[in-house]
Amino acid sequence: MTATAFADTTSGRSGVGLVASVQDLSIHFQTKTGMLHAVDEVSFDIRDGETLGLVGETGCGKSVTARAFMRLVATPPGVYAGGRIDFWSSETRAAGGGPVNLLTIPEDEMLGIRGNRIAMIFQDPGKALNPALSIGDQLAEVFYQHRSDELLDPLGPGTPAVVRRAARQEATRVEKILLKVPPLRSQANRVKAAVDDRVAAALADTQIPNPGKIMDRYPHELSAGMKQRVLIAQALACDPDLLIADEPTTALDVTVQARILELIAELLDRHDTSVLYISHDLALVRGMCDRVAVMYAGRIVEIGLTEEVFSDPLHPYTRGLMNAVPSSAHRRGALTAIIGSVPELIDPEPSCRFNTRCPYAAGVCRRLDPRFLRHTLEHGVVCHAHDDPAALAARPDEMPSFARVDDAR
Amino acid sequence: MQIRDYLIRRLMVLPILLIGVSIIVFTLTRIGGSPIGIYLSHEMTPEEVEQLEERYGLNEPLPVQYLAWAGGVLSGDLGWSGVAVAPVTAVFGDKLTATMELATAAGIVAVTLGITLGTFAGSRRDRLPDHLTRVFSVSGSSMPDFWFAILLLIVFWVYLGWFPIGRSDPAIWASIAHPTGLYTVDSLMAGSWQALRDAIWHLILPAMTLGLATTAIITRMMRSSLVEELNEDYVDAARAKGLPERLVLKRHARRNALIPTVTVIGLSFGFLLQGTVVVEILYQWPGMGRWLADAVLRGDQATIMAYVLFTSVLFLTVNLAVDIIYAYLDRRVVLGS
Amino acid sequence: MAEVAQHPPVVTTPVSGPLAVRLRRLGEIVRQVLRNPVTVIGLVIIVLMFTMALLAPVITTPNEPNPYQMPRDWSALNEPPGTPGHPLGTTAHGGDVLYGIIWGSRTSLRLSLIVVGVTVTIGTIVGSLAGYLGGKVDEFLMRVVDIFLAIPELIFALAIAAMLGPSFTNIILALAVVYWVKYARIIRGQIMHIKQNDYVDSARVIGDSKFHIYAKDVLPNSFTPVMVQATMDMGSIVLVGATLSFIGLAEAGLAEWGVLVSEGQVGISTGRWWASTFPGLMIFLWALAFNLVGDGLRDVLDPRTESR
Repeated sequence: MTATAFADTTSGRSGVGLVASVQDLSIHFQTKTGMLHAVDEVSFDIRDGETLGLVGETGCGKSVTARAFMRLVATPPGVYAGGRIDFWSSETRAAGGGPVNLLTIPEDEMLGIRGNRIAMIFQDPGKALNPALSIGDQLAEVFYQHRSDELLDPLGPGTPAVVRRAARQEATRVEKILLKVPPLRSQANRVKAAVDDRVAAALADTQIPNPGKIMDRYPHELSAGMKQRVLIAQALACDPDLLIADEPTTALDVTVQARILELIAELLDRHDTSVLYISHDLALVRGMCDRVAVMYAGRIVEIGLTEEVFSDPLHPYTRGLMNAVPSSAHRRGALTAIIGSVPELIDPEPSCRFNTRCPYAAGVCRRLDPRFLRHTLEHGVVCHAHDDPAALAARPDEMPSFARVDDAR
Repeated sequence: MQIRDYLIRRLMVLPILLIGVSIIVFTLTRIGGSPIGIYLSHEMTPEEVEQLEERYGLNEPLPVQYLAWAGGVLSGDLGWSGVAVAPVTAVFGDKLTATMELATAAGIVAVTLGITLGTFAGSRRDRLPDHLTRVFSVSGSSMPDFWFAILLLIVFWVYLGWFPIGRSDPAIWASIAHPTGLYTVDSLMAGSWQALRDAIWHLILPAMTLGLATTAIITRMMRSSLVEELNEDYVDAARAKGLPERLVLKRHARRNALIPTVTVIGLSFGFLLQGTVVVEILYQWPGMGRWLADAVLRGDQATIMAYVLFTSVLFLTVNLAVDIIYAYLDRRVVLGS
Repeated sequence: MAEVAQHPPVVTTPVSGPLAVRLRRLGEIVRQVLRNPVTVIGLVIIVLMFTMALLAPVITTPNEPNPYQMPRDWSALNEPPGTPGHPLGTTAHGGDVLYGIIWGSRTSLRLSLIVVGVTVTIGTIVGSLAGYLGGKVDEFLMRVVDIFLAIPELIFALAIAAMLGPSFTNIILALAVVYWVKYARIIRGQIMHIKQNDYVDSARVIGDSKFHIYAKDVLPNSFTPVMVQATMDMGSIVLVGATLSFIGLAEAGLAEWGVLVSEGQVGISTGRWWASTFPGLMIFLWALAFNLVGDGLRDVLDPRTESR
């Protein structure tokens, strides 16, 4: 199905560094009635230092795509059905190495990337923290997991193996008891103190007042906004190359949202992190992102620089989305909803997934997968109307014609 | 503090429940014929019977009788055990330690095995180990314990001869001092390996029998609450930190799955207590259960009532303790209520 | 999306509305229950047990005058399985094990049906009173329920049966006294829950009388959890009942599985395993079958509380 094989506009261009490149990623779910194509041959790049927005409605596959970066899609019922996610970590790049495919590297290598080179902020801060562990303990885990060598450094080369194992969270129950006994206790305490310092610094980084006190608190004692700050601190603890933010403000009050967004923007600036920002909120994406990709029913339908996509939306779905967003430019009552609902994605036939809701849909949209077309250097769309307007009943004023652009790949 | 409020509320209900239980027990003594039945004989004249009734206050109105009885219970007078031919309170101690030793052993087996099996199954959901564990837990809770005991006896006692019945080898039992009455503890204190081995050897079959149903219940609960926890976001968040699956399971999911399991452990304590009756009969364990069974067959009211009262108090206390632990463990509960 | 895949939608709409709708929903439940092979195994065992119980007078020669009393063949004591005329052997008192098993199923059926029937009725009445009247009545009744729950089931039943004297009728009575509380709790909880639901409010707005709402909306909705509990209890009542008769609270020589196990138990030290093994197996299978079906029912009726 090369028709949907989607090449990002940056592919092949030199001079622009990439952090990650998703190619033909397909993720399916085994259900009782068949294979659900949650993510269907999705391709896009994330460039160095950019914030890429991934927008779409609930269930369009954007969260599954995000989880795939962490290889956190539960299998079964999930199936990685195809494609790859290449990732250039700053560590391997410094050593002159190339990318790794996140979908195929061994688990222990993946453990070194999760939470360290790629981090994730979850949608609901209330649920993403373990209710039974203190904030300090939960943050400390990140440092123990990824920074144990640095923690052990000041203790010198003669550090007993037990202490080393404890710092790597590998100590057994018996060893943990040993660590409470005098000769080892002081060394274990030094490691603990070093971790505490780092945890406090990470919390302070997200402007949490009184980090020392917060460390001893439990999640239910904090407000939602505070919890999200903790999660942001946790995500940025190891200075990741790529941050995946899965609707980080959706579960928050509007007033808190604004402050968290400000914080994220400021932190990203400072840490120089690339971001994949998942959201269904167009206005928010417009403010946060350098580029934006629009996803519908498991596929990316449009991608481009934020200002281009917003000023000149090409796909009927993108246009519909923008009409569905209230803004000062709209008169009261002029807001239109997109009619219909998302199609069944179980074992779908080739077709444009949007054809059931598209005002311009014609026969070709129900028979063939549309392909990627480049509109400008940065702006592309996947739509039959832009491919061959004559084939459909599109009104010329609505659907400007384009020169056909062959697949970049 | 909210935990304290919660505790106070729980503690205030306790006396009401205790009074209720005592009323039930008292009522039972009055439906089962004369409470002085064991003193009566055919040779007695009606006048003599009446005299006896008067002596025990049976001609007073029921509420007065209840108060007199309850006062007796509170001052430690639980009546005369016809089976043991002694006041109930006098025989209680010995029987209780024997039963407690057995129930504790069974409880330890059930809790460790149940949590281990439940974790094993829950973390391998819908795979073969999970299915096998389910077969075990459904069978375990459908198994009549007296039958299971008989099967074990047929195999391990009659045919293989691996394990003895009773509580001890009398010669070995007599060879050490018994300051606590708990055979295992006594043998440890005496430093006698022979006695310890004897104690454990006698404990294995009864503890297995008694623990089976409880193990099944705990396994089931642990399994389902672990499955539930593994679906929570924080588990994925822990994975996203780069924690290996071992830590995600142990430190995050299993720890929280244990919280609801604790409640079930409290409730299944009742199972352990009532299971001792049958288990002690079959393995000839000289504890409260066997004593109760004897009392039941010989119509020894005082013993039966003392037993019911005692088990209920114990059961209520354990469940109160469990609730406290639960409130302490699950900070969400306290906040929510 | 992952969640959708993990939890396929299951019919959970409340049972209410016109009869046709209700019947269709019942059909759907039956179909879903039958889809689970484990549940089907349980159902098959139950059907076999019931058939055995019903056909007992046909497949055996009933003992005169009381068929529920074991016939004694004093010329065949302790015969092993396979003896002519006694395919499963005899007890130390010449009781035919097979006869005891067959008539024991009839005893068990009687026991479980009576106790479940009585306890569901009492529980429904008490639970409805508490849930519907609320206030002081509710407070009082629920305290009573709590008190009943404070005494471990078997011990409670044992004490009652012991006070009433050894007879199987008294075992039935004792179990009835102990088992109603669960139903009262379930029914009350359901009523409390449903009371807050919108559709009862809308019924009120329409002007239905209180009793009408109760009969039309509350009872049918409470039915689901009661059915699951009743299925489970069909098994556990036989289990506990057999335990009581094993201890010695039923008439000696009654054709009942627990009595039979107890009668056979004396022989095990001399290697006569059969007289207690077979009837014990029957108790196990009976309890197992109802547990399996109860589990299956719960999975279908209430998918949120996963039983496995």
